[in-house]
Amino acid sequence: MSKEYTFDKDDLKKIEEIKSRYPEVTPAVMPVLWLAQDKFGHVEPAVQKLVADTLGLPQAHVQGVASFYTQYYKKEKGKFVLDVCTSFSCQICGGYEILDHLENKLGIKAGETTEDGMFSIQSVECLGACGYAPMLQVTNDKYVNNLTTEKVDSLIENLKQGKMPEFESIPMPQHETES
Amino acid sequence: MNIDWKNYKPILIPAIKDLHKIDVYEKNGGYKALKKVLSGKSKMTPEEVVNEVKDANIRGRGGAGFNAGLKWSFMPKPDGGPRYLACNGDESEPGTFKDRKIFEYNPHSFIEGAIIAAYAMQIQTIYVYIRGEYRDFIDMMDVAISDAYKKGYLGKDILKSGFSVDMYTHMGAGAYICGEESSLMNSLEGKRGYPRVKPPFPAQKGLWGRPTTINNIETLANVPLVINNGAKWFKGIGAETHPGPVLYGISGHVNRPGVYEYPTGMLLTDLINEVAGGVPGGKKVKAVVPGGSSTPPLRGDSLDGVRMDADSLREAGSMMGTAGICVVDETVDMVDFTWRISGFYHHESCGQCTPCRDGTGWLEKTLDKIRRGDGEMRDIDLLYEICTKMEGRTICALADAAAWPVRYALDRFREDFEARCKKTVYALA
Amino acid sequence: MAEIIIDDKKFEFEEVGKVLQFILDNGMDLPFFCYHPSLSIPANCRQCFIEAGQMVKDRESGEYELDEDGNPVIRWFPKLMTACSLDMADGMVIKTHVTSEKVKVAQADTLELILINHPLDCPICDQAGECPLQIQTYKYGPEGSRFEHKKVHKPKRIQLGPRVILDAERCINCTRCVRFTDEVSKTHQLSIVSRGDKNYPITAEGQVFDDPYSLNTVDICPVGALTSADFRFKARVWEMNQTPSIDVTNGKGVNIDLWTRDNLVMRITPRFNKEVNDHWMPDIGREAYRLFNENRVSKPIIKLDGDQVRSSWNNAFMTVSEKISSVKSDEILLIGSPYASLEDNYAFQNWFNRLGVSDVYFTPHIEKGYGDDLLLVDDHAPNTNGCKALGFKEVDAKKMAKLLSDESYKAVFILGDDLLSRVDIDDSALESKYLVSFATNHTETTKKSDLVIPITSSAEHIGSYINVDERIQRTIPAKETMYTNRKLDLEMSMGRLDHFGTKFDNWVSDKNRVDCIPAWEVLVRIGNEMNLEFNFASPQDVLEDITDKIPALENVSYDRMDKENGIALKLSAPKSVTT
Ligand SMILES: Cc1cc2nc3c(=O)[nH]c(=O)nc-3n(C[C@H](O)[C@H](O)[C@H](O)COP(=O)(O)O)c2cc1C
Ligand code: SF4
Ligand code: SF4
Ligand code: FES
Ligand code: FES
Repeated sequence: MSKEYTFDKDDLKKIEEIKSRYPEVTPAVMPVLWLAQDKFGHVEPAVQKLVADTLGLPQAHVQGVASFYTQYYKKEKGKFVLDVCTSFSCQICGGYEILDHLENKLGIKAGETTEDGMFSIQSVECLGACGYAPMLQVTNDKYVNNLTTEKVDSLIENLKQGKMPEFESIPMPQHETES
Repeated sequence: MNIDWKNYKPILIPAIKDLHKIDVYEKNGGYKALKKVLSGKSKMTPEEVVNEVKDANIRGRGGAGFNAGLKWSFMPKPDGGPRYLACNGDESEPGTFKDRKIFEYNPHSFIEGAIIAAYAMQIQTIYVYIRGEYRDFIDMMDVAISDAYKKGYLGKDILKSGFSVDMYTHMGAGAYICGEESSLMNSLEGKRGYPRVKPPFPAQKGLWGRPTTINNIETLANVPLVINNGAKWFKGIGAETHPGPVLYGISGHVNRPGVYEYPTGMLLTDLINEVAGGVPGGKKVKAVVPGGSSTPPLRGDSLDGVRMDADSLREAGSMMGTAGICVVDETVDMVDFTWRISGFYHHESCGQCTPCRDGTGWLEKTLDKIRRGDGEMRDIDLLYEICTKMEGRTICALADAAAWPVRYALDRFREDFEARCKKTVYALA
Repeated sequence: MAEIIIDDKKFEFEEVGKVLQFILDNGMDLPFFCYHPSLSIPANCRQCFIEAGQMVKDRESGEYELDEDGNPVIRWFPKLMTACSLDMADGMVIKTHVTSEKVKVAQADTLELILINHPLDCPICDQAGECPLQIQTYKYGPEGSRFEHKKVHKPKRIQLGPRVILDAERCINCTRCVRFTDEVSKTHQLSIVSRGDKNYPITAEGQVFDDPYSLNTVDICPVGALTSADFRFKARVWEMNQTPSIDVTNGKGVNIDLWTRDNLVMRITPRFNKEVNDHWMPDIGREAYRLFNENRVSKPIIKLDGDQVRSSWNNAFMTVSEKISSVKSDEILLIGSPYASLEDNYAFQNWFNRLGVSDVYFTPHIEKGYGDDLLLVDDHAPNTNGCKALGFKEVDAKKMAKLLSDESYKAVFILGDDLLSRVDIDDSALESKYLVSFATNHTETTKKSDLVIPITSSAEHIGSYINVDERIQRTIPAKETMYTNRKLDLEMSMGRLDHFGTKFDNWVSDKNRVDCIPAWEVLVRIGNEMNLEFNFASPQDVLEDITDKIPALENVSYDRMDKENGIALKLSAPKSVTT
């Protein structure tokens, strides 16, 4: 059974605001896909259709765009998606060990979702936190830096209790010595 | 060249508490450059701004190192139609994590620089393209932009000068290629992030077919410094042909990784050993990737005298790129390291051009074969050949960026590859 | 005039175009996949590499600078260029694979890269034989494969829509199909999905590729990734003959090729005509191949005691001549056809004129709103303007019904048209009349006819048709009838059997030949029966008579139609100036 997806009044207002930033409507497709994913948790084909219809764009175009960008979830994922960076700085600082640890802990492989739908794990490319390797990102949102297996364990515990990590401000070392 | 880096105080992101708040920024001389350009006796014409910035030789911090003012001067004369500035905060090249420091700690320096750039090029709309993973930093930018609107630095008739400009953030969604300027434009236009064939260049036909300039975030953040202190002052900082402060992102095997601001032209060895505290456990540096994953890796034993500026790095056989320095210690096998870089480009190729679409995968799969111990010596030759089939033959530079690390890793760390390859033994039947 | 040097040969040009197009236009070869002259230029396949340079001009003298040996100094672009996206310039120097080893190597390199993820299933691929990838690999490709890894797997045998099937593994990502739906048909039904080597084109999930022009993507797909659901596995390309023709299912007169094997039309593809249809045609026009093969009237049919039975030609001719002798000329109703050729309509008119019947009526087949902005027009018939040019009396369906029920007519002759399917008339109204129809296929009209005379279709005869834009174009026989012989009829394209006597050919059987005769010839033969002075020997004869008589068609000839891709006429008489 495919669910019915709709935008409510507030969403439509936001979409109008988004459209007003650009000289034409097509550029609104990415921000509106984001808006939809924030609301529904994914942009499965039915959501893509909603976005296409709302913006008056061809459905194939929206699908082409959604499938180009990896952050859009074209299939529903776990409640928490753990994106472990394994690009080179993280690779040499233990990114794969963190990934292994997570896989063993959750009993799934990268690309899979736990049966209870709580966690998905993905091995991803550089997230722009190379100096704080190894690291991961939770569901396109907060970064968890300088990971150790203990840190991963407590993260999982917190997430199970619905506690998202906080944004971590990492100052430039020069600033720390100055102040 | 002698850089007194030990006494250097950051100027691009100075150590001032709460500088990201507009009041604090203003109190510390913020938006002075904009006022200087737009009002009072010091008022500058757009051409004067372009010339000053050109003279300062701010070389693009996004990777290509092109003189920003010179790029601005390519914009055609205004014809009354829309013109755009696209600010590149895609920051997706492995090893690069510096623009985020500007978003977090000094967003207004960038905003101010972008407004000045818009004025210099007679642009009415600025888009700030930021990678989708930087959700928190985008939120910070949105706050900063809205504060700048409230203070009248953005919007209509800025500082009563008659000049108006709007600024919007645009959130990426996971695609390294969107950092390439023409792909970024397609992404902004709501399309698949396919790079465009050049010519036409963005200044002729950019966003929605209109004149457009693309600059990196850090590049633009330097502009207020140039306007406030003059080109001459700016050129006095760091390397002569590549001047200014630069954000070095140091990662990998160092004791104190992070983003540091120092002049260009720093000795790589100083950055690794002094600034970042050397390699943990006193291990030897095996390789250094000096400017993001696209730049050819240097051997750890060939770093003497190598400075972080375009000329010195070219001489050493690499590039400045994004100044994202990844330090690799002696425990790492370069086959594994190179394989992972290839995996990145394979994953990120947009898939338009045959050599890149199919070449990146072939590189990764061949390296994987060697990594698993199934490689043969001829696979090393094959890797070189695949690189040749890719280099210089595609729409954008991603294919080159994918080939170079492989080519130079083979050149400079051949022993690692040979050690992993089977020596083919011909048995007599 | 501006000059360009290609492989050491000098060419002059006036209009600045792309280098690749110029190379092709001048009969030279260069491999390419993604470029299509009627679509935007993505330069993504990287196959059309060339070396390009510019001769250096001396600023002061304006002359080309020469080196010590007296050769022009050339500034070469540092990288190989793609010819498809490179604008020509005065003083440009180009080296293709013919003169550049570097280019040759690069072209082979790109082919090798394309092939690493290509399934190489040519033996079971419909495209084989007309596959640019296959052809170019033979000509320019590497010798073997050095790719030892798993190929990328993608969806196969996906029915995208009613007419098109996708095999994404064969796709080389040239984006021609996507560009077609974006830029030409504008249905935007296809998009490339995913990224990198996982890319392939597809419709949005749940959406059917029912673009009325969808089969053009099959034509332009340079590999067998998109194939026609209907034509799939029916025939190998090399077994078929290709004959230029005109679409007779719409007033636009789209230029087509008929592909025949053993006297069956296997498929229809568009033929380039810049003035009419560019490279495209609507899907519906391609269905017409069935009209040529199926449900044909073969041998005359006569109604005996209410039953339609087959008859001999002699009997049919005699019946007609007897019928005509038994009625007065004003008891004969003549109905020409916008579906029949100009020659057939004219012969029909001219033949009966000699018997004193002057008026020929016709009813156009127009369906308001049927047309689109591209190649379909409201007029379903190929030759409405032909009827007008001949001065036929145009009546609408209502009026035609009235004429047909008019008691004063005793005999009705209907030319090549399923008239009764679009004229609402009671069977009883026809009972009192003798209905003769000249027909290609069994239809509502033939069912009700007392005598049906089978005539040739546009796939079997030479005939001219004047389209809605007043362009006259003609057909050429693509298949034989019982009475034509391709060896005698020099207009027909020949197969290998004809040339070399080999049986390994498209013409391996004499089956599928329809027992029919061109309408003009039928009239000649009945005329002989009746001692009528009506002696055309060929369609050419008929056309010459027409061009002699009708000023608007002056100087029209088959030769000109062929050479000029059809001729634009000015049919509408200049409006008389009222003073
Ligand atoms: C594959 C590829 C990825 C790139 N990614 C980025 C990026 O993430 N950020 C960036 O500023 N420039 C990136 N660039 C460089 C841009 O194309 C462009 O040169 C730059 O944004 C211009 O700004 P600048 O002159 O101020 O450096 C990339 C280039 C390529 C070829
Ligand atoms: S080089 Fe690669 S990333 Fe760049 S346009 Fe071509 S296929 Fe896309
Ligand atoms: S299906 Fe054919 S036309 Fe479409 S992109 Fe693939 S190869 Fe090109
Ligand atoms: S390499 Fe992992 S965040 Fe950059
Ligand atoms: S034809 Fe594809 S790149 Fe030129």
